[in-house]
Amino acid sequence: MMNKATLVLFLVTFSFSLHAQKLFSTKTGQIRFNASSPLEQIAAINNQVDSKMIDKTGQIVFSVLIKSFKFENQLMEDHFNENYLESSKIPKADFKGFISNIASVNFAKDGKYPAVFIGTLTIHGVQQKVSTTGDVIIADGTPSISGVFKIKLADYGIVGSYIGGKIANEAEVTVNCKYQ
Amino acid sequence: MKSKISLIIFVLAFAAAIGVWYYAFKYSVTNHRDVANENAIIVSASQIVKDFQTNETKANKTYLNKVIQLKGEVLKKDQDQAGNYTLTLKSDDPFSSVFCTLKKGVKLSNKDSTITIKGVCEGFLSDVVLNDGVIVK
Repeated sequence: MMNKATLVLFLVTFSFSLHAQKLFSTKTGQIRFNASSPLEQIAAINNQVDSKMIDKTGQIVFSVLIKSFKFENQLMEDHFNENYLESSKIPKADFKGFISNIASVNFAKDGKYPAVFIGTLTIHGVQQKVSTTGDVIIADGTPSISGVFKIKLADYGIVGSYIGGKIANEAEVTVNCKYQ
Repeated sequence: MKSKISLIIFVLAFAAAIGVWYYAFKYSVTNHRDVANENAIIVSASQIVKDFQTNETKANKTYLNKVIQLKGEVLKKDQDQAGNYTLTLKSDDPFSSVFCTLKKGVKLSNKDSTITIKGVCEGFLSDVVLNDGVIVK
């Protein structure tokens, strides 16, 4: 009888520790956008990125508001919102997916772990399957995500006569999110 | 006579080109939108969260890109990765608040627990998001 109780207790504890997972989140992640061409510097920064990540499953979500992208040039910011991303109609963009090799990240040990991100990127209301690489960085027990990838503006229905000329065909997106 | 007219046209076109260039590349870099000078929609933190939760499309039409002034109880003060101060204001829903990033250089004092702020509404994620915030009171 006593043994059975010990066994049950053991199983319960074991299964709990097996399923214990942690949700990391931030509301102040950073994403930079750069579509500069040799003719024009076109860059913006968003310091209000909402992101959540689960350590065990590698599930990860980034959500941004298009209006949170700030340009040095106000007119450029207005054009970005009104003519290209149409942020009044489509205010958000997001990425939903997984870090496929999350098992190789040791959240208890500080270090830089290469990561593969696979998921769906939705910009301008258009969904595209994407996969890219980056890093999970653990510093003082707190994880951060960093990564750089390129998106083809035409793939997301972002069109305009300047694209391919003053505006690059491909925009570089730099992610740097520190979780809390 | 004809050459005089073409000279005038040339001078006007040149002046216009300079004007456009100045507006696009000089004026627009130094002159950013300033919330302090704009009329604001006055609303409570609880109400704006409720409006976005009930009908986001409608709330976007009402609030998006507009200057909002609201009074609320401070839940959290923090700094973002670029060093700007951020404020989270309480609503009736514990899972959704108003999140406001203050304008560069605007600082927070420690004592305020209830605050009135003014900022530009950028939309709704898990919170209603404001940016370029300034403290009214």
